[in-house]
Amino acid sequence: MQVTLRDIKLAYDHQPATLNHFSAQLPDGQLTALLGPSGSGKSTVLNLLAGLLTPDAGQIYFDQTEVTHLASRQRHIGMVFQDYALYPHLTVRDNIAFPLKMAHVRKAARYQRVAELAQLVQMTDQLAKFPRQLSGGQQQRVAIARALAKRPDLLLLDEPLSSLDTTLREDLREGIHRIQRATGVTTVLVTHDQDDALQIADQIMILADGRLQQVGTGTALYRHPHNLTVAQSIGRPQLNTCAVTALPTAWRQVLPLEYYQQATTVGIRSEALHLETPTDPHTVAGTISRQIQLGRDHQTTLHTATLRLVSTALPATLQTAVSIGLDPTGCLLFAADGRCIWAGDAHA
Amino acid sequence: MLNAKPTWKSTLKTLLYLAPLLLITAVFTIWPLLNAFLMSVYTKYNYFTDHVGAIGWNNFAYLWHDPLFHLACRNTLLLALVATPLTVALSLLIAYGLNRIHHLARFFRTIYFLPFVTSTIAVGLVWNWIFRLDGGLLNRILGWFGYSAIDWLNDPHYALAALMVVCVWQGLGFNILLFLASLNHIDQRYTAAARLDGANAWQRFTNVTWPLLLPMTILIIVNTALTNFKVFDQVYALFHGSAGPGNADLTLLYYLYQKFYVENQYAVAAASGVIFFLLIGGVTLLTYGYFRHRRRQMGGRL
Amino acid sequence: MNRHPWLTLFWGLVLTIGAVLTLMPFVWMILTSLQPAATTLSIPTSWFPRSLNWVNYLNIWRAAPFAQYCLNSLLVTLTTTLGQLLTSILAAFALTHLRFYGRRLLFGLLLILMLIPGELLIIPNFITLAQLHWINTYAALIVPWLASVLMVITLHQAFLSQPKTLYYAARLDGASDWQYLWHILVPTNWPVITAVTLLQVIGSWNAFMWPLIVTNDDARRTLPVGLMAFTTEQGTNYPLLMAATVCVIFPLILLYLALQKYLVSNILSSHSKG
Repeated sequence: MQVTLRDIKLAYDHQPATLNHFSAQLPDGQLTALLGPSGSGKSTVLNLLAGLLTPDAGQIYFDQTEVTHLASRQRHIGMVFQDYALYPHLTVRDNIAFPLKMAHVRKAARYQRVAELAQLVQMTDQLAKFPRQLSGGQQQRVAIARALAKRPDLLLLDEPLSSLDTTLREDLREGIHRIQRATGVTTVLVTHDQDDALQIADQIMILADGRLQQVGTGTALYRHPHNLTVAQSIGRPQLNTCAVTALPTAWRQVLPLEYYQQATTVGIRSEALHLETPTDPHTVAGTISRQIQLGRDHQTTLHTATLRLVSTALPATLQTAVSIGLDPTGCLLFAADGRCIWAGDAHA
Repeated sequence: MLNAKPTWKSTLKTLLYLAPLLLITAVFTIWPLLNAFLMSVYTKYNYFTDHVGAIGWNNFAYLWHDPLFHLACRNTLLLALVATPLTVALSLLIAYGLNRIHHLARFFRTIYFLPFVTSTIAVGLVWNWIFRLDGGLLNRILGWFGYSAIDWLNDPHYALAALMVVCVWQGLGFNILLFLASLNHIDQRYTAAARLDGANAWQRFTNVTWPLLLPMTILIIVNTALTNFKVFDQVYALFHGSAGPGNADLTLLYYLYQKFYVENQYAVAAASGVIFFLLIGGVTLLTYGYFRHRRRQMGGRL
Repeated sequence: MNRHPWLTLFWGLVLTIGAVLTLMPFVWMILTSLQPAATTLSIPTSWFPRSLNWVNYLNIWRAAPFAQYCLNSLLVTLTTTLGQLLTSILAAFALTHLRFYGRRLLFGLLLILMLIPGELLIIPNFITLAQLHWINTYAALIVPWLASVLMVITLHQAFLSQPKTLYYAARLDGASDWQYLWHILVPTNWPVITAVTLLQVIGSWNAFMWPLIVTNDDARRTLPVGLMAFTTEQGTNYPLLMAATVCVIFPLILLYLALQKYLVSNILSSHSKG
């Protein structure tokens, strides 16, 4: 099912609008991630889709049907809450079967479907337990199974990974991906963690300040960000930024002059900062203040005369004084309003 | 749903959920509440035809001059003044003890709470038998120690004391539980810290436990006083349907009952009800004012 | 913790004396009820019955319509408790989960009504019932007590502390408000509901003044009122009287012993913020 949000406006009582002129489209059968910091409005969008919030203006369509004012229970959607919201007095089996019971599905058919779902989320041996007897990861899987029980047209996941530790996160992220692929249900995942989005989403929507900043695949967002906010939200370590005036003269030479003159901010990806090569004349002297090993990679903190930069392209070294070259393909130029006017990769 | 505003439609739907409560409350609480005040100023009232002859302060004037009403007020206040501090002090002592010991605390707690679930009328009859002049338990025990028997229930000097004993006995359980709740709460948070600071048991009690216990204590005192203002069942059972020798145990509620049910002076009874209400309402308001004041002093933390 | 042994002994002593005094009327009641059936005038003089005499427990059923009293008490207690639960659960749900005009006003009104002493309402309520010709009917014993403001407020607090996501989850799972109430909210608040039920059962079973006023024959009397009527007839036949009081008191004590953890924990938690 394709979901369309058109020109949505929403403000909570006595507060500036959370969403203003918000429009977006979620393609059928895909996993879309809503990525943004807290307060960006991503949970608001999810609650709008769930019918837990009603917009002040604008429309929501499921395929061609307008559902803006349709009650949650009539929207035929499944949702996994951040705290999973499992019914504490019901067993895993009855939790998963609850939506079917509400839909007056007969008991035998209900339990048949529960068995299928338990298989899908790999919880077959836990059906008789109560939620409090399960680990966080198991609870999350039960919540997903319950959300899928009535074969919803849309699956909403509200930060389902935020309360889990890192190893478990990776596991369950894969689990969500696998289940989404297996069921083909249109899925929205709300997260503040770019790894969640990058690893499993078909498309990512970046939200900040109640506005949709950009939509695209992980690659597109990384290489062609529309603005500074997007460029800063994708990529780890975070994009190095500095005012154009603070950029050492040697490095200015590698950037295109006509864009450079319009720009106010320069963004430098960590992989664009490398040790000088014999052919590269535009180097800047810097000192290494810290180098840490992150698994296979090294993350190096550098200081030039004016800047503090993070690089991932330097090899492990004991030197502290180094000469650094800049690769223009990893550079971005932003105008005063934050708009990206030149992305090295795109124009190279 | 999260940001839904009430509409006439949602209000109508909600009304279906509220209707049973509203109906019963309107007919049997709000309407009689208004009526109780109105009736107190009716004079020459015929309740069956609902005919009101005249309106005035006669009923209150009657109470003002009725020695029985004065006696009822005196007995009620005396009962509250003696039984309330006794109940509160004893329940604090017992709750503190329950908080100190580890073994059998639950067992003791169960026992102390038994009077709360016990029918006042039934146990009042048992107390009647305990207080009896010949063969009663209390006089048998006094006999052991060589005291002569006392006619607790027929001697006006002792009859009110007997009632006080019954009230204290029955009031302990609930208060012990309330104190225990407070003490557990305080214990977890503060006394361990005080212990680390090197305070001994008595210092801990006076410097840490007691000040923190004070708001709950005031709540319990007020609550117990209100309960003691409302004594009726105990009197009825203890004296087999009378107010004691020479009305020695006539309480305000018993006076109301007598005027209303025995003498059929409805309007006078209603007026005594209003006085009763003013007494209770006054105490409640005072407490409410104290707690508001205190909350403001403590910056909203209570 | 290393407490002083003398201190422990002291508190043990205080608590034991208190417990003995608390239990004393119950013990005295049971001992007397097992004394041989006396004539109405002779007072038992021995402390302990020489042999266990159950005959008083048989005699009370013959001496007064105790079966009828029991039946009336059971009926009144059950219906008022269930009725109050129903009206209070519905109202507390509406106050905590539904949007409607006048919600704050209504809640404020309930808070005020909670402070009104019920004794003030006895006379006007009696007159209302007299005008309805309900005196000496079950309706008089039951209907005025079908709503309890205190219970609404208690359940209101409990329902408020329930995570709201459970409500949203149930709505998305296709439950209506009504289904959410009975399938999720009530079962998950079972401990509080048990506690308020128990408190109400205690209140109804032991209620005296109101049943005394609105009943006037054995067919409608509840146990406490019947017990007083029985006392007037039997005078000082204490063994018989004590057997009757045992029958009034013990059902509730058994119920309390079975469910005390709910009752105690509810009182402890609802007052611990004091």
